[in-house]
Amino acid sequence: MTKEYATDFTTKELIASFIAHQVRDGERVAVGAGLHVPRAGILLAHLLYCPNVRLYVVMTFTNLIKEPKMEPFYTVTDFRPAKWAEAYVFHDDFQENPRLVSDMFVVGALQIDKYGNSNLIGVGKDYKRLDFRGPGAVGTLSMAHYVDRYYLYVQSHDRRIFVEQCDFISTIGWGEGGADGRRKLGIPGNGPIYCITPLCIMDFEPTSKRMRLKSVHPGVTVDQVVENTGFELIVPESVPETEPPTIHEIRTLRERIDVEGMLRR
Amino acid sequence: MIPERKSLIIDERQAAAMIRDGMTIAIGGFINSSHPMAIVRQIIRRGVKDLTVVGPASGGLDLDLLIGAGCVKKLVTAYMGGEHYCPIAPLFRVAAERGEIDVWECDEGMFYCALRAAAQGLPFTPWKAGIGTSFPQVNPDLKVFTDPINGEPLLAVPAIKPEIALIYAAHADPYGNVQHIGTGFGDRAMWRAAGKTIVQVEKIIPNEEVRKNPLATSIYGADAIVRAPYGSHPFAAPGYYIEDEEHIREYVAAANAYAKKGDRRPFEAYLHKYIMEPETHADYLEVIGIKRLISLHEY
Repeated sequence: MTKEYATDFTTKELIASFIAHQVRDGERVAVGAGLHVPRAGILLAHLLYCPNVRLYVVMTFTNLIKEPKMEPFYTVTDFRPAKWAEAYVFHDDFQENPRLVSDMFVVGALQIDKYGNSNLIGVGKDYKRLDFRGPGAVGTLSMAHYVDRYYLYVQSHDRRIFVEQCDFISTIGWGEGGADGRRKLGIPGNGPIYCITPLCIMDFEPTSKRMRLKSVHPGVTVDQVVENTGFELIVPESVPETEPPTIHEIRTLRERIDVEGMLRR
Repeated sequence: MIPERKSLIIDERQAAAMIRDGMTIAIGGFINSSHPMAIVRQIIRRGVKDLTVVGPASGGLDLDLLIGAGCVKKLVTAYMGGEHYCPIAPLFRVAAERGEIDVWECDEGMFYCALRAAAQGLPFTPWKAGIGTSFPQVNPDLKVFTDPINGEPLLAVPAIKPEIALIYAAHADPYGNVQHIGTGFGDRAMWRAAGKTIVQVEKIIPNEEVRKNPLATSIYGADAIVRAPYGSHPFAAPGYYIEDEEHIREYVAAANAYAKKGDRRPFEAYLHKYIMEPETHADYLEVIGIKRLISLHEY
């Protein structure tokens, strides 16, 4: 069956579709509340492709394939989705075994370097007098350490975020680079797989683990990405456009997941 | 003669009176939910100073308010913000940037390691995540050591013992049997670590109700119980009310006026109207008003 691609979609919907294809059936997957786009992508994967995913939704585990539509929830403390709960997750249990929470994770950042190391602590040279104090690491460090793999996700793409060197590293990516960059530090898991931005998708070149342009979103040029990246990005000879969402995906997003239209704003 | 079982019920003023300058206290809940706000507001009214505030693992605007009111010296948490209301807590941000508070930098995994070590009377809990990051540099209490079994580097996360944990829950009986609605987030980790635990509840339930479902008892043996209906306001209370979005936005606007424009008057006005002027929790609820309170539905 050939895919019927949508022609009318937003970048947020495109990214949600991309994220949907990263989920594997049968996995445990944490659904963050604050990041609307990754949340929509994971729910899209679940509803269309991964009926056996164990969804971690606001301190509960559940399965939502029979829900006609997702009611919106904006915070990780919204207790209303608890009506779907098959299990409660005591937050401190997360420390007992982070793998029980999720097999994959999405990590946001204030800064990201070329090896996918990232920073949520703050920006500035002196930790005691930061130019900009960040929100803190939340659970990103421990989750990104223990999960099978994770995805860096940022809501803007500029030289303030993509820097030669992070002022601080709160979540380790490929460390100082190389295929053994994580193993050298005794860190398990497959690390960051992709870095997802409003301009493009980037992956990591297998030998050096340096960030490499994988695809650009419709209407974005390679030059635009390079100009807005503060480190030397590996750019392959030909860079395809990010695969568009299908008509079915867009319909599912709009009718069952993003009913409020957050991804269309 | 059969001796009487002692009631542990106190009011929010008695609870806050137990918090003295310089103490290490834990405050329960999670970001926008389940904070013992009646006690927190009374701590601010009393002008308690130099507190080390532990948690929650991810902290919310209750802690931002305490920082803005000048009660906090040091903060132990992995996140400070209000999610979609404000990604970074405004007064926390400026206080941290100016060095007015110390931040014990950690992530949620390390946070629970510190409480767990305290609960178990151990000097530290080993943790693997953090090797290769800036955490040991920005938080010198975290020590890298060599695992004696495999010879690999590990992080020692030292014990942090709250002298008193202040927790919010739905229900308790008069004898300290606490029943949360929902998970209670990391509240039990705080209770296990703390010297004493005071639980502020929405409702006192009879002991007979507790005995109908002992499995629901999340904290057995709280040291004191405070009854404060709508006591997590403006934050959510699972099973009772959703958060007061309008009030939280009012707080964020007041805090941002100072954090972004240097104008402290809106925040001072907030403090005056909602905290300093009302003498008790009941007075605070009168300021908020019954219409607003009952508009915060539970479904």
